[in-house]
Amino acid sequence: MIRNELSNKKPLSILEKIEESLEKLNDKIEIMIEIQKNGNTNNQRGPSPLPDASLDVMTLLSMPDHLRKTAMTICRCSRATAEEISAQTKRARAVESAYLNQLVIMGYLKKERKGRKAYFFIDKESQS
Amino acid sequence: MSKIIAVHSYKGGTGKTLFSVNLAATFAKAGKKVCVFDLDFRAPSLFAILKTPNADFWLNDYLNNTCEINKTLINLSNRIPGNGKFYACLANPSTEAIRDMSSKDRKWEMRALGRLLALREALLKEQEFDYLFFDTSPGLQYSSINAIVAADYVVVATTGDRSDVDGTKRMLSELYNLFEKKTGLVLNKVLDPSPTAKKTEMQNKIKADYQVPMLGMVPCFCEILRAEGSLIFVQDKPDHPFTKILAEMAKKIENNEIE
Repeated sequence: MIRNELSNKKPLSILEKIEESLEKLNDKIEIMIEIQKNGNTNNQRGPSPLPDASLDVMTLLSMPDHLRKTAMTICRCSRATAEEISAQTKRARAVESAYLNQLVIMGYLKKERKGRKAYFFIDKESQS
Repeated sequence: MSKIIAVHSYKGGTGKTLFSVNLAATFAKAGKKVCVFDLDFRAPSLFAILKTPNADFWLNDYLNNTCEINKTLINLSNRIPGNGKFYACLANPSTEAIRDMSSKDRKWEMRALGRLLALREALLKEQEFDYLFFDTSPGLQYSSINAIVAADYVVVATTGDRSDVDGTKRMLSELYNLFEKKTGLVLNKVLDPSPTAKKTEMQNKIKADYQVPMLGMVPCFCEILRAEGSLIFVQDKPDHPFTKILAEMAKKIENNEIE
């Protein structure tokens, strides 16, 4: 019986780890694509947020439609995962994940990993 | 369901404040718990219409994060008949406060948006308010756009004035569409209201012109002009046609008969 449980559990945990790694890989690819698009050729390891980037209404107005929808939703939630945002915008989780990472790169959002989940939020503290 | 209602316009003098106060009072008369907020920080006027004593704390203080929202709320329920609750949250009318609010930077405005969004939790959920009304400043001011973003439903007040019509159309297509906001148009100060038979025809024409549904139409009443903003009409003149028109609009909002 124990053997049965183990054999059932093992593939599941392996799959979860694969999913987690794929998500991390996906995030990194999105950041690389964004850096390439923006022509960021400096040697910094992480993306450098724009100085003085605040997610105010005029900024929201000047954003492309697809990013504005994500940004407005995170404004309302203040802290959320890509899945939570996608539940409100009715767009795919992967799409929201890409847009949220784009907003992180632009300096409007912060990202924090807790276990397997990545949380996105507006860093009001650093902007005070 | 729309719980936070912003009242906005392209130009000033379209009757936003009088409309906000009276729509809020209509809901209070029907037994609801409501609060009207003055978000016109450059030309505060709610204190004058409501004739409130000087407040200890203002909406400015809440947005500046120097006090909690409860300290800014003035209970005016004794002015409305029935069991409803009517509160007001005023903008500070002092010149110094107006100057201070005019010099805020983008980061402050971003935090102010966060504070407005937090009212949903603090007032609607925790204190069981039924409706919040944001009386905004005209045009594309930061405070107005913050209010629009934070609201569930926006009432745009407009008049027949040519420059107002053009500006309102532009504002609706270039601003409201971007925020995908549920919007209703109130045509105010109409000089020659059409007979009932032509009402639907006129509503369809306005919807086609502005590309947004109409919440209602308010004829130009001399009594309102004569009162010079010193009356809460729905309270002081319960049988006046203006009171009845507002009751119809409130019913539409409450029954979610808004597109």
